[in-house]
Amino acid sequence: MSRRVDTGLFFEIPGGAARAQAGLLVIRVILAAVFIYAALQKIDKPLMFADEIGMYGILGPGPLLNVFAIILPWIELICGLALLTGVFIRGAALILAAMNLVFIVVIAYRTAGIMSAEGTPLRHVYFDCGCGFGPTYAWKKLIEDAFLFAFSVVILLSPAYRYVVGRRKG
Amino acid sequence: MKRAITQAAALLLLGTAAGLVNNAFSVNGIDPFRRLEEVPVFENGGEPITEADADDHDGICFVNLEEFREMVDAGYPIIDARTSDEYKSGHVPGAILCDYFEMGRYFDFVLPRLDPGDRIGIYCNGPSCDDSEMLGRELYTMGYKKLCVFKGGMEEWREAGLEIEHGAEEWSE
Repeated sequence: MSRRVDTGLFFEIPGGAARAQAGLLVIRVILAAVFIYAALQKIDKPLMFADEIGMYGILGPGPLLNVFAIILPWIELICGLALLTGVFIRGAALILAAMNLVFIVVIAYRTAGIMSAEGTPLRHVYFDCGCGFGPTYAWKKLIEDAFLFAFSVVILLSPAYRYVVGRRKG
Repeated sequence: MKRAITQAAALLLLGTAAGLVNNAFSVNGIDPFRRLEEVPVFENGGEPITEADADDHDGICFVNLEEFREMVDAGYPIIDARTSDEYKSGHVPGAILCDYFEMGRYFDFVLPRLDPGDRIGIYCNGPSCDDSEMLGRELYTMGYKKLCVFKGGMEEWREAGLEIEHGAEEWSE
């Protein structure tokens, strides 16, 4: 008869709690590294970032676009640090899940626009999404963002965390 | 989930405050209420753009190597939109450095050297680089209406074996 092991995740994995928490930590570090790096590429460069996200044509040419360019990198940075330290981790995971979902939708929208306007096949659609990693193929970026979204959801739904700054045992 | 939403709200507030404070004090900060103008793009149907054409049309015109070289020879201000390191390793003679990615920092030094009524040439690395055009759009919004973007950039200039100047601008060191 098998005994259910509380892994601290919302699903069970072989090896029990220690391995599950180590896996969760790896996911946290990957997600944090991606968003901290992306934030550092854009922080203090609001003109450039506004131009890049302005290419989506969604936020208009005015204040909404500017404010978004000013604050988004800081929110990414703060969420990345929250994931690393474990402080406010659920809130950070919720924001990143929502952000990744939005990124997927707007990148898909822009990709569809390029495909229909220029007749470019999906595999050849290539642009700078303004994500902080330079120009890349749209399909590749969509897959990456889908993974980041899944990672955020795993962290958000996990009932317990270890490796939290300021807490001895999780 | 309620706790996640509360935490998310706190993080969003913190991020918003940090971004706005940094923007207020940073040399690269922007006016949150600025509005980019629609920039007319002038192309002469593939034909060379004459000086009269460029002078008659406000907005961005795309020039080829020959036209750009004429601008350089005639002494029009030329802006290099690449990074400081790229500029140091070789640039069009007399070009003014204005790194597009840090333009807020450069504008204090660059703008006094430009006349809003004059034609201004801009280039960056080469055909795959959009920084010169993006910088042109910013300058247009700031009142510089006659902008000539050389899409061939440093790549084409170098390939043509034209004169290249090395070294940094004094003030940028």
